[in-house]
Amino acid sequence: MKNDFILTVKDLRKVYGDKVAVDGISFEVKRGEVFGILGPNGAGKTTTLEMIEALRPIDGGSATIDGIDVASNPYQIRSIIGVQPQSPAFQDKTKLTELIELFAAAYGERVNVQEFLADVDLEEKASSFIENLSGGQKQRFSIAAALVHNPKVFFMDEPTTGLDPQARRNLWDLVQQVRDKGVTVILTTHYMDEAEVLCDRVAIMDEGKIVALDTPAKLIHDLLKKGFTKAQHVEQANLEDVFIDLTGKELKD
Amino acid sequence: MDKNSIILLVVVAALVGLRVGWRLWRKSQPKQTAFKKLRPLNPWQRKLYTVYVFAKLNTRRYFRDRVAIFFTVAFPLIFLFVFGGLFGGNNGVSFRIALINQSNSAFSKQFVGMANGEKVFKIDSSATSLDAAREKMNRGELDAAVILPKSFGEVKAGTTYPSGQAQVIYTNNSAQAAQTLASVLEAQFKSINGKLVRNIEPFTVETSQTNDKSLSQFDYTFSGLLGFSIIGLGIFGPINVFPELKKQGILRRFHTTPLRVWQYFLSTMASQAVIGLFAMGVLFVVALTVFHLQVVGNWWLLVLYLVMCIVTMLGIGLALGGWAKNERQVAPLANIIVFPMMFLSGTFFPRYLMPDWLQTISGFLPLTPMIDGIRLIATEGKTFLDLGPQLGLIAAWALVVYLIAFRVFRWE
Repeated sequence: MKNDFILTVKDLRKVYGDKVAVDGISFEVKRGEVFGILGPNGAGKTTTLEMIEALRPIDGGSATIDGIDVASNPYQIRSIIGVQPQSPAFQDKTKLTELIELFAAAYGERVNVQEFLADVDLEEKASSFIENLSGGQKQRFSIAAALVHNPKVFFMDEPTTGLDPQARRNLWDLVQQVRDKGVTVILTTHYMDEAEVLCDRVAIMDEGKIVALDTPAKLIHDLLKKGFTKAQHVEQANLEDVFIDLTGKELKD
Repeated sequence: MDKNSIILLVVVAALVGLRVGWRLWRKSQPKQTAFKKLRPLNPWQRKLYTVYVFAKLNTRRYFRDRVAIFFTVAFPLIFLFVFGGLFGGNNGVSFRIALINQSNSAFSKQFVGMANGEKVFKIDSSATSLDAAREKMNRGELDAAVILPKSFGEVKAGTTYPSGQAQVIYTNNSAQAAQTLASVLEAQFKSINGKLVRNIEPFTVETSQTNDKSLSQFDYTFSGLLGFSIIGLGIFGPINVFPELKKQGILRRFHTTPLRVWQYFLSTMASQAVIGLFAMGVLFVVALTVFHLQVVGNWWLLVLYLVMCIVTMLGIGLALGGWAKNERQVAPLANIIVFPMMFLSGTFFPRYLMPDWLQTISGFLPLTPMIDGIRLIATEGKTFLDLGPQLGLIAAWALVVYLIAFRVFRWE
């Protein structure tokens, strides 16, 4: 019987000197969902993610991905996860075909590069250098490259920080496409609208602890049940809607 | 040009031809439409496949990078022309000679004393026998040997004045120097002769060339230049590239994959070795054709030796570049290591010009056995059997620097 949870985190701890960055958190992520870790800067989101990705030593507790313990099998973990860095960069003077070959090779995989690029609609750009792609193509390529080895879990650390509204929306579409392929997505963000749009469930972190964990709708519902009311009346549109209406949905470079 | 150089040129031309031909052939092929199935790899093949792809793409990127090509090929070439032009003619104003006095006469002793104060030539007092002098001449350390024969300066029976004939011995590379030296001696003898007796010249000079094949100054210059090239490839390459890759987060991204440090290092070694052989190949072609470098050694041994040198030197670059978080951190440290090594190991001027104590110390630097070994193989035709000390020293350095490099490497 297959476990419903692809990721299980138990009492995970990280201590820097006398500062507790991650204070014994526990949560589980279901297979195929988009899971968000929210929180202000310094809440421990990135540290948590890096421990799960086997990039940083775990000081206490454990993390298990698809039944594999992270601390004792870091290389096995790395071959079943994909990681999208905050600001993806590629070596210049390298063609798309070569970058795909390179990323696949980093996982010890050989892929048919042309076929792969055709799948992500970048076939025409196959022999262009990475620096000659448009912003949207670069986003698409970057995510495709991180998924070249068919990972089971895809991590994104603040994927939309610093992007303009168009690029942000484009990325949301891409994340949903990744989820539709059956890949579990775990992302961190401090944009609540983003979490509401993308995430099936969110964990809200503060000062190294998880203070709430549920679906966005349930969290909002619970808050309202406590008698919370918003001071201002509900708008039918917000300023971002105005911005998108005026500048279009097309990506600008 | 000797047979070896012609073979080398033909091989280079053939390689270039093959590369161009391959590209044209690939371009003429129709684009493949069906995707071929790739054969699955076993675990070890997968690990080495990773190394292969990283090395291949690294090498390819180098050939697209004009700045990198400039620093590895054009830069040493400029030095080659500057230094080759300086030392090529062997026409320095000051000669290094051995003065071998076989005579006991008072005159010869006086002459030696005079010669020691001479500015036109510098006497190497360590070469006291003809054999020792020849040995040094063959290594290019001396320009000529002056021999004062047994009877030099003695008063011959039937005459009232001392006489004698000094011999100037030189090699095929120092003919010019020897001629100049002979005329300097002749001029001196003339003034002595004039004081002794009229119309007869009791003191004369005779010159003769040895049959040995000797090293020219250029041989030293060229092996030093290859040493300079090795430093550029092994140290300056990685310390420029790694901090930049870290800054862009590219190494961090590789860290999220199962890529191991040894795979990354091995791929860097392979690509630097290919790039290095290319860059040095260009230097060799120019040296053979323009500067008439004579390579007597085995080319395959030379290639193998050069690869070993590059890999060892790369260990220093990997340690520095792999450790540093940014360029500012690595630059001062690299300069402290590189510049003394460059000057003390005989990159720009031969080590035999240094005082003995400095020669002893600089003999242990990693670059010294590299430069010496290249010269010994290329121009003296030595094999690995003769190069025990050099190979041992390089192996020891390789062990030390790679132990450090693996220990201090950071992905971000």
